[in-house]
Amino acid sequence: MDLFLQRIFDGLSNGATYALIAMALVMIFKATTLINFAQGEFAMFGGFIVLVLATEQGLPMWIAVIVGMLISAVLAAGIERTLIRPFDPADHLPLVIITLGLFLAINAIAGIVWRFDPRAFPELFPSGKAMSIAGATLSWYTVFTMITILVVAGGLTLLLNKTKVGLAFRAVSSNLESSELVGIKVGPTLQFGWAIAAAVGTLGVSVFVASPFRQLEPQVMVTGLIFAVSAAALGGLDSLGGAILGGLAIGLVQSIAVPYLGVPTELSLLAAVVVLLLVLLFKPSGLFGTPQVERV
Amino acid sequence: MTDRLLDVKNLHAGYGPIAVLHGLDFHVSEGEIVVILGANGAGKTTTLRAVSGMIDRTGSIELAGKSIASAKAPDLVRAGVAHVPQGRGTLPELSVEDNLRVGAYIRNDNEIDADIEQWFQAYPVLGERKNQRAGSLSGGEQQMLAVARALMSRPTLLLLDEPSLGLAPIIVADLFERFAEINKELGTTMLVVEQNAQLALGIADRGYVIESGEMFAEGPAGELINDDAIRRAYLGV
Amino acid sequence: MASVQLTKGTRAYTIYKWAGVLALVLLVFVAAFAFNDTGKISVFDNDYKIGLTRITKAISFMVAILGLQVVAGFTGQLSLGQGFFFGTGAYLSAWLVADHSWPWFLTLVVVVPACFLLGLLFGVPALKIKGLYLALVTLGLAAVFPSLILLDVLEPYTAGAAGKIVDSDLIAPEWMPLDGIATGLQKIPLIGQYFGDGDLSSKQEQRIWTFFLMAVLAAVCFKMVSNLISSRPGRAIRAVRDNETSAAVNGMSLSYHKTMSFGVASALGGVGGMIYVAELGIASQGDFTQLLSILFIVGLVVGGVGTLSGAVIGGLVIAFIPEWASSTQNMPGVPDRWLQGPTGGLILGVGLIVLTFVLPGGIISGVRKLRAKIVQVLPAPIRVGESIAAKE
Ligand SMILES: Nc1ncnc2c1ncn2[C@@H]1O[C@H](COP(=O)(O)OP(=O)(O)O)[C@@H](O)[C@H]1O
Ligand SMILES: [Mg+2]
Repeated sequence: MDLFLQRIFDGLSNGATYALIAMALVMIFKATTLINFAQGEFAMFGGFIVLVLATEQGLPMWIAVIVGMLISAVLAAGIERTLIRPFDPADHLPLVIITLGLFLAINAIAGIVWRFDPRAFPELFPSGKAMSIAGATLSWYTVFTMITILVVAGGLTLLLNKTKVGLAFRAVSSNLESSELVGIKVGPTLQFGWAIAAAVGTLGVSVFVASPFRQLEPQVMVTGLIFAVSAAALGGLDSLGGAILGGLAIGLVQSIAVPYLGVPTELSLLAAVVVLLLVLLFKPSGLFGTPQVERV
Repeated sequence: MTDRLLDVKNLHAGYGPIAVLHGLDFHVSEGEIVVILGANGAGKTTTLRAVSGMIDRTGSIELAGKSIASAKAPDLVRAGVAHVPQGRGTLPELSVEDNLRVGAYIRNDNEIDADIEQWFQAYPVLGERKNQRAGSLSGGEQQMLAVARALMSRPTLLLLDEPSLGLAPIIVADLFERFAEINKELGTTMLVVEQNAQLALGIADRGYVIESGEMFAEGPAGELINDDAIRRAYLGV
Repeated sequence: MASVQLTKGTRAYTIYKWAGVLALVLLVFVAAFAFNDTGKISVFDNDYKIGLTRITKAISFMVAILGLQVVAGFTGQLSLGQGFFFGTGAYLSAWLVADHSWPWFLTLVVVVPACFLLGLLFGVPALKIKGLYLALVTLGLAAVFPSLILLDVLEPYTAGAAGKIVDSDLIAPEWMPLDGIATGLQKIPLIGQYFGDGDLSSKQEQRIWTFFLMAVLAAVCFKMVSNLISSRPGRAIRAVRDNETSAAVNGMSLSYHKTMSFGVASALGGVGGMIYVAELGIASQGDFTQLLSILFIVGLVVGGVGTLSGAVIGGLVIAFIPEWASSTQNMPGVPDRWLQGPTGGLILGVGLIVLTFVLPGGIISGVRKLRAKIVQVLPAPIRVGESIAAKE
C-alpha cells in the first residue's frame, strides 16, 4: 500500500510538467486549432535561458525563472509575428510545417550553443521530504509542483477572464470574424497566446528539471512533448482545466498502471500513445473539450 | 452634401477571381434608415462586407467625408462603423455579458458597465441570462444580443445583414420595431440588408434594390413599396 | 516564353518523354560506377563524399517519402510517423533474413502486408476526424518505436540495443558483367578517370548490384503510385478532398479511401525500411526515432508536396545534407562551434521554414518553372468525334 501511495506522489509530480506543457499547447490550440509541435523545444530553450540567467548571470533562482519566462514570451511573440502570422490561420499544412522546422532548428541551436551533455539545474524548491504518509514519502518537490500548476491555472484563468486582452483572446477563440467586427486585431491577440504559451512552457521545463533526479539537456522535451500532447488530447484540446487533469492522469498512468501491469518503463510512452488513440476512438473532444470536432 | 454619413461610389468587390459587385453607388445620410433589397445571391452581404472592410474592394467609400476605402475591419469599428453579420453575429462560447463587454472593446471610458446595465434593463432576458453562453439563447434573443453588442461600440453607422433570417414572423416584427426605436432614441444611422422587403421598407426612409451586383432601382421607401415592378419581383404580390 | 513547344500525343512529345526516361536510366547507370566509393566533392578543404552506399540509403528515404506523398496527396494531412513503419519494415526483414535465411526481396511478402495493416489500425481513428489528429497519433507512434524494440519480449528477435546485424549480401549473378562494364567505362577518354581503376572488388560489385536492384524496386514503387494517383478512384478522392461539400456527401467512402491511402503509405514506409537495412546490414533502434520521421517531412516539403519527383529530391536532401554538414570542418566566416554541433538539423530546419515562404511547392516547383522556360508541353487538342468515342 505504501508503494502504491508513493507511486501516486511520483505520478503527480511528473504529471505536473505534462500539465504545464499541455496548457501551453491548449493556449495555442484554443485560438487557432493548431498544434505547435515545437512547443516542447520552446520550453527546453526557455529552460536553458533560465539556467544561464541563474548560473552565469547569478540571478536568484525564482527571478531567473520569471525573467526567463518573459524572455521566452518575447521570443515566441517575435516568432509568431515573423513566421506564423503571414499564413492563413485556417490553412494548417504550412503552419504545421513551420512548427516542425522550428522543432529542428531550435533543437539544433540548443545543441550547438549548449552541447548535448546534461546539466544540473539549480534547485527551485526546498529539498527533502515534506511528510510521510503511511510509509510513503511526500517530497517538497511534489508539493510545490502541485502548488505551481494550481497557481498557473489560477493565473491563466484570471488573465483570460478578468483582463481585456483575455477577453479578446476568448473572443478570437470563439469566432474570428465576429472578433474583427468588434475591433479586435486578430494577429496581436494570437501573438499574446503564443507568448503566454511559451512562458508557461518555460516554467514547465524549469519545474521538471528542478527535480533532484533530472537534468537539463536539449533532448529533454522530445518525448515530453508526446506525453503533453496525449495529456492535452485527453483533457480536450481546448480546455485548460482538462489539460491539468489530463497531465496528472498521464503522470499517474505512467507511474501506477505501467509498473503494476509489469511492463517495463520504456512502455510508459506507449501508454501515453495508447491513451491518445483511445481518446480519439471514443471521445475525440476529450474529457472536457468543446465537442466541435468534425468527423469527415 | 455634408449630411451624407456614408457615401459610396463605383464600389467593386468579390472573392478572389470572382467579381460580385460591379460598380455600386449609394449613400446613407445622417440619422437615416436605408434598406438594401435584393434576391438571394444578388450581392447584398458582399456590399456590407465591402463597406465594413471584411473583404478587399475598390472604389470610393467615404465616412463623414473621410475615405475609408482601404481601412480594415478592426479600424473601421474605431471609425464608428458597427456590422452585425448575416447569421448570428454573437460569440457563442462567451457569456451574454462578455458578448456585450467585448462589443465595447474599442472603448476606454468608464461608462461601459452602465451601458451593459442599460441593455439588461431594456431586455430583461439578457439580464436574466447574463452568465449563460450566448449560444444557448434562442435565435431572436441572439439576434438582439448581436445588435446590442454592435451598439456597445457606440457606432455612428450600424450595418445590419438580414436580421430577420430564420426568425418567426412575430419576432421579426418586434425586432424591427426596436430598430426604429433605437434609430429614434440614439440617433444611430442604419444600413439594413433585407429580403423581407415589406417589413424593412416599413421602417426605412429610403431603399436600394440590387440585382447581380448592380444597382437596379432606388428611391424613397414609400415609392419603392408602391412600385409595381418591385412589388412583383421582391414583395411577392 | 518557352523556346520549344510540344503537344501531347504527337511524335515529338513521345520522343521527348522517352529521352527523359533514357537519360534517367543512363544517369543511374553512370552513378553506379562513378560513385562506387571514390566520388567526392571538395570545397574549402572539406571532402563531401557521394558514395554509392549513401545513394542507396537515399533511395530508401525516397520510397518512404513517396509514401508521405500519398498521404498528403490523398488526405491533405501530414503523417509524422513514417519512421515507425520504416523501422518496422527494417526490423521485420532483418529478422527474416538473419534468423530465417529468407532472401531480401522475399521479405517484402511479409513487410508490405504487415505495414499496410498496421497503417490501417492506427489510421482508422485518426483519419475519421478532421484536423491534426493524424499528425498527433503518428507523432506518438514515431516516438514510441525505439522503446518497443528494447522490450524484453522482442529482444530475441530485435537484438535490443545492440542492433540486429544481418550478414547476408546481395551478390550479383555470374552472368552480370559488372567488371567488364567498369573496365569499359574506365577506357572512355577524358571521363574514364572518374570510374575508378582496375577490377572491381567483390565489395564494390556487391554495392553496385544492391544499388541497381533497389533502384529498380524504387522505380516500381514510383510507377505503382503514379498509376494509383491517375486511376479513377485516385482522381475521385482528390476531387472530393478539394471540395468540402461533396466530402460531406461522400463521407463514408471518403474516410475509407483516406484510410486505405494511409495503409499504402505505411506499406511504402516498410519497403523503404527494407531497402535501408539491406544496404546497411544492421538495424538499430537509434536510427528510427521521431527525428527520422520529421526528416521525412523535411524531404517531403523540400522536394515538393504532391509531386512524385519531389520525393526523389527529398530523399537525396535528407540523406546527404546532415552527413555533409557533419563532414564540414571549416567554412570561412563560420565559427567552428557552429560546425561541430548538429549543423545539419539547423540547416534542414531553417531550410524547411525558408522554403515554406519562398517556394511552397518545393524544389520541384522551382525546377518546373525553369523547365517551362525551355520546353512547354501543351495538352492534346480534343477532337469532337474522338472524345465521344472515348466515353463509350
Ligand atoms: N466566400 C465566398 N467565396 C466565393 N463566392 C462567394 C462567397 N460568398 C458569396 N459568394 C458569391 O457572391 C455572390 C453574392 O453573394 P452574397 O453577397 O452573399 O449575396 P446575398 O447576400 O445578396 O444573398 C453569390 O453569387 C455568392 O455565390
Ligand atoms: Mg446575404
